[in-house]
Amino acid sequence: MTDHSTAGDQLDLDSCVQIGSVVSSNSHLDYVVEVYKERDCERPPELHEREFGQPVFIKKTIDGTDHAVMGVIYDTQLIDPDQGRTGPRLAQEDQAQFTPGYIEERTTLAGVALLGTAVITDDRTITNPTHQMPRWTLEVDDTVFHCPDEITRSFHTIDDQIQLAYMDRLVDIAGDLGAEVIVTLIDRLQGILPEDDPNQRVLDVVEQNVQWQARERRGVV
Amino acid sequence: MAGTRTPRSGLMAGRSDVVGTVAGPGEDPNEFVFVTPSDRSIKTGEFITYTVSADGGERSVFARVTNRELIRGLPEGFLADPEVGPETVAATLGVPTDDTELYRLTATVIGYYDTDMTTFANPRQLPDPGTPLSIAPDQQLETVLPNLGCETDSTDVAGLDGIAHVGWLLNRPAEATNIHIPIEEFASTHLAILASTGSGKSYTASVLIEEMMRPSARASLLVFDPHGEYDTLADMQGEAAFQDEDGYEPDIVYYDPERLRVRISELEIGDVMAILDNPSNRMQERLSTAWRAMQRQESRTWGVDELIAEMERIYGDDDASVGALEWRLRRSIERNDLFHPEENVPLDEIVDAGQCTVLQMDTLDRWDQQLITTVLLRRMYRERLDDVRDRESAIDHPIFALFEEGHRFAPASGDAPSLGIMRTITSEGRKFGFGLGIISQRPSKIDQDVLSQCGTQISMQIQNPNDQDAIKNSVEAAGEDVLRELPGLTPGQAVVSGDAMNTPALIQVRQRRTPHGAGSRPVIEEWHDAYDERQRKPTRSEGADFGEGDSTGVQDLD
Repeated sequence: MTDHSTAGDQLDLDSCVQIGSVVSSNSHLDYVVEVYKERDCERPPELHEREFGQPVFIKKTIDGTDHAVMGVIYDTQLIDPDQGRTGPRLAQEDQAQFTPGYIEERTTLAGVALLGTAVITDDRTITNPTHQMPRWTLEVDDTVFHCPDEITRSFHTIDDQIQLAYMDRLVDIAGDLGAEVIVTLIDRLQGILPEDDPNQRVLDVVEQNVQWQARERRGVV
Repeated sequence: MAGTRTPRSGLMAGRSDVVGTVAGPGEDPNEFVFVTPSDRSIKTGEFITYTVSADGGERSVFARVTNRELIRGLPEGFLADPEVGPETVAATLGVPTDDTELYRLTATVIGYYDTDMTTFANPRQLPDPGTPLSIAPDQQLETVLPNLGCETDSTDVAGLDGIAHVGWLLNRPAEATNIHIPIEEFASTHLAILASTGSGKSYTASVLIEEMMRPSARASLLVFDPHGEYDTLADMQGEAAFQDEDGYEPDIVYYDPERLRVRISELEIGDVMAILDNPSNRMQERLSTAWRAMQRQESRTWGVDELIAEMERIYGDDDASVGALEWRLRRSIERNDLFHPEENVPLDEIVDAGQCTVLQMDTLDRWDQQLITTVLLRRMYRERLDDVRDRESAIDHPIFALFEEGHRFAPASGDAPSLGIMRTITSEGRKFGFGLGIISQRPSKIDQDVLSQCGTQISMQIQNPNDQDAIKNSVEAAGEDVLRELPGLTPGQAVVSGDAMNTPALIQVRQRRTPHGAGSRPVIEEWHDAYDERQRKPTRSEGADFGEGDSTGVQDLD
């Protein structure tokens, strides 16, 4: 496809790279995901696959229909429980297989904001994307997948018109990073779309608007 | 409160034509502000209506929209790329674009139509917030906007007599709300048509002339036409629209400059003084004595010779001043074809009911135009005076005189002999059935006394600030909101205000029935024709062929 395609990009939703699993939530739309490490799954995500602004999805079956709940990584946090402590460190190497929750461990958390939903088709791609607020809640331990560019494009294209209708909610959830995550998403979409696509100009206008408003809010202009 | 509101909202709920809701009072005592979700149906100048309880009944109060501002719309940031419409950006962001815009409009209350007074009465009470507003119905506006004296607010005015269909409301579709103004009103209290050049002054005047010559009016009209712009009026003759079953057909008479004569005895001493070159005080004294003596005589057909003879009789043959006067009189009066000892424009030839006389003055110079006008107006005014006083008179019906280039006959600078009689007629003519119509492109150059007496005004596009000020200062009925409209009008659009209207209205002047004769010249076409013509003609510089052989050259050497 384009330069943005990575080795993990495949159109089959089932073989997408797993990024992590849901561990908690701050609100109905704002989830905390613990990023998988080497021992958690066969192929943990590489750094660029869980970067800031990376679209993700979570599979949910509702009334017998498979849905993809779409989201985006808008924040990451590193947790090191030993920070500031002194003393021997024994746990990690010896207890590779045994990591119950009460044993504190270094980990990376990602903030995922939900953007909308889509229906998963039989050939394992998506259809009927909607940018409305997802009504269903995610569960702890739900797996969050890396979203390939092709799926990202389908999710953002409704009737050939590019859509970012979740924008106001995303700005709300992402707070100070809201403008940044939108700009990153727009950059990604611009990379995915062909250069002569008329939607490119629309994205330009939206990007300018968001950036300008963010600068205004921060008191730059 | 709830008790009074419920029936009203119940009444309005069934009305599909509600366009907005009152938000609150505006800045002026007669102003209120209302909000409307879109601008589809409301433009500035539009008439809207709401219902109030007054005098024990429900009254429809009319108001005019004067200003509109956007209070909610798509952000300007969406317009960053001219090739991407703001709706596209809005759609991308999931912002609904249907009825996004919300407008705040200001309206000025005109009042409800008082059927007893047959004019508007101001309820002096602004509508409550939340009152629904509708677009005023066409027929109601047709009845109440012009001063037609209807006894209900929904009379079918097209059937009334003596009205002139001038056009229709500008904000409505063509011919949706036709405006008929009462001819009697503007014909007795005078009319002013003011507009910059090319905006349709003479077109509008011709529309009025057509209306006045229709069988229902049969006016006695006189057009003073310094430019020969009215030569297509004759087409009215033979048109079915102007004929009546009783055999009526308008009589269009063209009076060419050769037939325009001023009988010397009709001149007043002031006119003669104005014609002569700087007469000395002694000369003026001599002349006025002799002039008064001549006017006391029985004969009305004396000329310069008789006048000089009279002066010589009084002051002697060898009086130097008389000699100097003789030279001046012969030069200014005798050598001017306009003046004649006997000939005169017969009034019965130029004025008659059902007759429109166009006095073509295009070959006369300005001074002669003013003089002939002065004398004619003076004579006609005298006849009208006699008729009203039950004395014998040559004009036994009201007359209306229309002046193209009105500033020429009643200039603000005051240097026209006709100014005095024009002032007299505009201030007193109403009582004697003598109406004037002034057409001008320079309101600031018209005598303010004359202009301010014109009770009905049709103002068209005017951009010159001096001229706008002149209208503001002299035309009482033209309010601020009307004056604001003037620079933005396009040709054929006009503001009608004054005695003929209950409230000023913006109209589109209707199409003429006869072709228009005063359009701009097709300059490029005429240049081409002239050039081709010259190419075909041999010029003197083209040398004749003196050589031998079968020349086709030009042989004509004269």
